[in-house]
Amino acid sequence: MTKHVVSRESFSRRIWLKTWQGMGVRFAFAWIAVLVCMGVFAPFLANSMPLLMSKGGVISAPVLAYLTREDVVVLGMFALAVMLVLVPLGVGKRVVLFVLGTALVTIMVNLLLKPPAVMIYDQFRSPTYTEADWRIMPPIPYAPQDYLRDFGQTGLEAPLEAADRIHLMGTEENGADVFSRMIHASRIALSIGLIATGIALVIGIVLGGLMGYFSGVADMLGMRLVEIFESIPTLFLLLTFVAFFGRSLYMMMIIIGITSWPGYARYVRAEFLKLRKQEYVQAAVASGLPLSSILFRHMLPNGVAPLLVGVSFGVASAILAEATLSFLGLGLVDAPSWGQMLNQAVKSSTFNWWMAAFPGGAIFFTVFAYNLIGEAFRDAIDPQLSRKAGVTA
Amino acid sequence: MLTYLLRRLLLMLPTLLGITIVVFSVMVMSPGGISAQTLVEGSDMKPQEKQALLDYYNKRYGLDQPPPIQYLRWLNNVSPVGFTQDEEGAYTGFSFSKGMDLGISFMYGRPVGEILGERIPITLLLNVITLPLIYVIAIVLGVKAATDRGGRFDVGSSVSMLALWSAPTMLVGVLLLGFFANVQYVQWFPTAGISSRAAQDMPFLPHWDSLWDVLKVFGCMSLGMVLAVTAVRWARLSVWWLGSLLLCGGVTGIALGMQFAGDGFVRGFLFDRLWHLFLPIVCLSYGGFAALAKLTRTSVLENLHADYARTARAKGLAEEDVLWKHVFRNSLLPLITVSAGLLPSLLAGSLIVENIFSINGMGQLAVEAVKGRDREMVLSITWVSGFLTLVGYLIADFCYTLVDPRVTYD
Repeated sequence: MTKHVVSRESFSRRIWLKTWQGMGVRFAFAWIAVLVCMGVFAPFLANSMPLLMSKGGVISAPVLAYLTREDVVVLGMFALAVMLVLVPLGVGKRVVLFVLGTALVTIMVNLLLKPPAVMIYDQFRSPTYTEADWRIMPPIPYAPQDYLRDFGQTGLEAPLEAADRIHLMGTEENGADVFSRMIHASRIALSIGLIATGIALVIGIVLGGLMGYFSGVADMLGMRLVEIFESIPTLFLLLTFVAFFGRSLYMMMIIIGITSWPGYARYVRAEFLKLRKQEYVQAAVASGLPLSSILFRHMLPNGVAPLLVGVSFGVASAILAEATLSFLGLGLVDAPSWGQMLNQAVKSSTFNWWMAAFPGGAIFFTVFAYNLIGEAFRDAIDPQLSRKAGVTA
Repeated sequence: MLTYLLRRLLLMLPTLLGITIVVFSVMVMSPGGISAQTLVEGSDMKPQEKQALLDYYNKRYGLDQPPPIQYLRWLNNVSPVGFTQDEEGAYTGFSFSKGMDLGISFMYGRPVGEILGERIPITLLLNVITLPLIYVIAIVLGVKAATDRGGRFDVGSSVSMLALWSAPTMLVGVLLLGFFANVQYVQWFPTAGISSRAAQDMPFLPHWDSLWDVLKVFGCMSLGMVLAVTAVRWARLSVWWLGSLLLCGGVTGIALGMQFAGDGFVRGFLFDRLWHLFLPIVCLSYGGFAALAKLTRTSVLENLHADYARTARAKGLAEEDVLWKHVFRNSLLPLITVSAGLLPSLLAGSLIVENIFSINGMGQLAVEAVKGRDREMVLSITWVSGFLTLVGYLIADFCYTLVDPRVTYD
């Protein structure tokens, strides 16, 4: 007879421990952590200007002077996130504080910071910057938009092809360093993945929740809407949105978000249809709680765990969507993007392998990592499924 | 059954209407909106001339009217039942048989229906070849993995299937194009299109000048297959090996035979087409079969442990019979459910694949139309692809009844 063990750990903690057990998942988290670090510290990892330099006894940090607003906001968000992880608080409070803090940082930065409007990267290779007493350069001494115009006609160069410069991953068609662009692109990829999925999640939960809670006519109408969005192939809809609206990063996030919500809505609806007849929901209704409280305080936490699975797969597909759009030439114009670099791999029948291998590899590993995490979550959340599928947890 | 079919077809109408409304409102709400601006590019024109040309185009395509009217007019033109117009554009009567008019593309200046008629068969050809391929490979791999649960093949295949599933189509496409269709590396396959120009004059099937050459190729092929069979017999390998080795032996045999045969070989239209489609289809299919193989494995495993499978074993059936006659049929259900979602993803996939391999299908047309802000074209492409998707759902539901007699729609 087996001993009955009473587990005192919370549900979320149990899921987390189970998820964390797999070897592949650890690699996946490690890869994403690397990407996050690259995204956050991109200006210090790859930039044309010195990190620190001393000239005539004056020590200056040109990098700090040339930080853009986005760089500062991202750094602020990262610092905030680290602080919040260290402070013992509830999950809800942490999220609220994070959102508020991010908003505050964004407003402050936009009001206070005045970065130089024009960047001329060639000047950092002029004597003003090179003839210093000592200076510390970033590991990759080229900015992503530094097209190396002072080196003359440069274009696609294979890794380590140029004699006087070191490009570990070669250069792209305008002459910019690929490694540097890869690092800066990781920020775009990650932020698009997370924010687009967040938008989709919010729309999906609200619509799905309302549909499931009210059922009847609201449900019927809502399901038609879901069906409409599901039966247009997402990529076609995305293309239409992107081509007719501008090509800014934020627009892209919103667009990917509003084209990928039906899955979540469908799921939340099904869950809420089940939950609405439960006693505790009836009790909440009977005690006259407002609708938002019933939906989001009482019902949502009981149906939220499996959404994690959808979210991990959603992030993967959002990243893929951005890469695809950029690949088709509908992405951001000047900003570095993995998909856009991949597009340059086969140009006029010459094959530039480094333009395929590195950006393509980055897309692949990121998508793979998120899919691995999604699978692990699924197996952890649904023990029956994992037992049937023969996955030993 | 007939009432069910009718009801489903009627339910499609609001969905299709919704699709066009969504797309139309996206186009209207966008900055710049829909206008003939993209058509008038002349920077060397005088402002008045430019304005006049703009006005002309706006009037010609009805772009000077408010968006709801524009939409209704478009809808009236597209729907097979509606009001008829006379030459001046005034609505004169109501007809049930006026036919569909998809309008005239801004970019091409040709009827949209005509252009779509050229492009859709190409995309459908890609998808129709890919779909059964996906299922065959997925079923073979998935069933094999399920029967080998926890074994080397199972673990290996489940990791590699997840990896394949995550590999972006564009990366695989670019790599295949770069390595296998490029003078820098090996040029085994053509770089673009779906047939070479010379293929128009070729006979349909491949053929050789002399019977002797045919015999040589056939002989080599049989030799390869016989060798495969002997190898399997000798090493006492399973049926799985037999199939794959037979295929390998046959293909190597044909390839060898071609070397021995004389020069009088004409590829033929069919072979030429297959040769062109090989890389695109590889690109289009791997993601699908990776996902489906994982699904097959889960579903077969689930059924292998079901009570009825145990009963079947208990009455003394061979494991092969349990697997193929009892378990397999039941495991097909989730596969069919997924097939409905497969069609939209294939359409999206062919959008990327067609762009990489320069195939003039609907996917490439979609990108061009969207870039050129071609109103009629974008609307038609979206509703046609939406329609194809809905038809896919319908077919999937019908296949359900075929596989599972318990499911009826009455």
